[in-house]
Amino acid sequence: MDTAKPPVGYVTIWVWLVLLVGVGLAILVAPFSKVLSVVLIFAVATLKAALVLRHYMHVRAQPLMIYAMICVPVVLAIALTLVLLPDIAFRP
Amino acid sequence: MSAISMAEGRRFVGRELTREPLGKVGVWWFLASEIMVFGGLMGAYILSRIAAGGWAAERAHVNTTIAVINTLVLLTSSLSVVEAHGAAEADRRQRARRMLLCTVLLGCTFLGIKSFEYSRELAHGLTPSSGLFWSFYYTMTGLHGLHVLVGVIINFTLYIGLGRYWEALHHRLEYAGLYWHFVDVVWIFLFPLLYLA
Repeated sequence: MDTAKPPVGYVTIWVWLVLLVGVGLAILVAPFSKVLSVVLIFAVATLKAALVLRHYMHVRAQPLMIYAMICVPVVLAIALTLVLLPDIAFRP
Repeated sequence: MSAISMAEGRRFVGRELTREPLGKVGVWWFLASEIMVFGGLMGAYILSRIAAGGWAAERAHVNTTIAVINTLVLLTSSLSVVEAHGAAEADRRQRARRMLLCTVLLGCTFLGIKSFEYSRELAHGLTPSSGLFWSFYYTMTGLHGLHVLVGVIINFTLYIGLGRYWEALHHRLEYAGLYWHFVDVVWIFLFPLLYLA
């Protein structure tokens, strides 16, 4: 018997993406601190991006080489920002 | 080993690693380079914003409602392009072309709404030279808009071509889709950066 879970439909993913847009807007008006709001808003954005990458771009089905090609510039872009952050944030 | 057999060997190793058509690998390479372009811009924006103390006054002038509508338009276009790819895989030609045309129209809608937003801001005297926030705003949304325009042209060209040369071109739907989804992912991060945070 085939017990494999059926793949999530594209429309279902779209509904989730729309709901997450709503969640992002709800965070904006929720009584959170500024820092917590920013963190949550970007967590929601990352979740949306992950949904698009996984279900629409089918990244999960790609070989390791494709993963490496995508991960390296992502890590470099984040590292570039983080490395320069102390110079900007702690400038007297 | 001769030069030709070494080249053959290298090509074989490359195909062994990816097991994907070279066109698809090329699209992923291109998208990887685009990550650095937009990643670098976003990083520079975040650092400049921290250095400037938040840009709260400038950010109050952007229209979040228009941006939300555009976000929904782009998310829906991602759905239509992935549906087009799915239909092509199932050899449902008419549906694939219809979904691709939907993507083109939604891309045009996004650009139309963005143009309206720009005209509104420019009418209020908010130009790229109005401050660092506006320089970043126009650069990042302008570059993203250019990518949307290129995507619209690619998808429309493909839509026309698929009518006559389905067998030769249908696999390119996946490549066009990958590019379109990437443009969507970029907007997913631009939206909170410029309008929400």
